[in-house]
Amino acid sequence: MVDFALLHRLALATAKSGSFGARTADGRIALTALPEGHVLQVLASPGHADIEQAVAKIGDGKPHAVRAYGPGQWFLVGDAPLSSSEIFAKASQLDGAGSVADQSHGRVRIEIAGTAVETVLAKGTAVDLALSQYPVGRSAMTLIGHISALITRTGPDSFELMVLRGFAESLWDELIEMSLEFGVDATAAN
Amino acid sequence: MASLIACPHCGPRPKEEFTIRGDAGIARPLPDAGEDEWHAYVYLRDNPRGRHKEHWHHTSGCRRWLVVERDTMTHAIYTVTDASAQGETA
Ligand SMILES: [Zn+2]
Repeated sequence: MVDFALLHRLALATAKSGSFGARTADGRIALTALPEGHVLQVLASPGHADIEQAVAKIGDGKPHAVRAYGPGQWFLVGDAPLSSSEIFAKASQLDGAGSVADQSHGRVRIEIAGTAVETVLAKGTAVDLALSQYPVGRSAMTLIGHISALITRTGPDSFELMVLRGFAESLWDELIEMSLEFGVDATAAN
Repeated sequence: MASLIACPHCGPRPKEEFTIRGDAGIARPLPDAGEDEWHAYVYLRDNPRGRHKEHWHHTSGCRRWLVVERDTMTHAIYTVTDASAQGETA
């Protein structure tokens, strides 16, 4: 029995939406708030850093659902919300070799795409994002300016950024500013 | 200060992503080692010129503790290893 109902508000519901910056037709940047489905953090138990295959099996099966960002550390992401029993079922599949923490409420995903996307992100991070060094599917935890973010390459000209919920709108505003020279179309959450 | 640290897990990253704990060569005294030894462990540090090993935390990356060996005068980085590697943890 709960005393009051928790109201879920999308982190980027009131973020800036629309077209900003250069009025070019080609090479524009598209910024899109992604569905707040699920974000699960998986940590390998001591002595079990090599559980990649087991972790891959509990992802939702979509491309780039499983994102490694350090030894024995992964994020599982997806567009569909998961109940606590569904999360518990995933955790039990790891059979004690790893733990699963629900971060769905705490981290937000943003898609950024366009032919100039590497140039835009290079204004904020020192990670080498050239396709030859950073192929599709690669993830890295890094800083974009002062904001910690997980960068995942989802295509030759598209990336997904995952950021702590409270920083999502700040990062959103910064990404718009970083994209102004190319023109940017931003679509906030709805 | 060295600008790029080659994290063994993440590759070269700017120093802003790291938190420096300090000298990696200091051993924690036994609980009953006495006040002088504990005072030295907690407060007293050398200020070496030249090669120096330190614990660095990759706070904004893989969140692993690393041992960075660098030159405090030239800023050259010699080695970066994971602190859990054999013999690295003080
Ligand atoms: Zn690292």
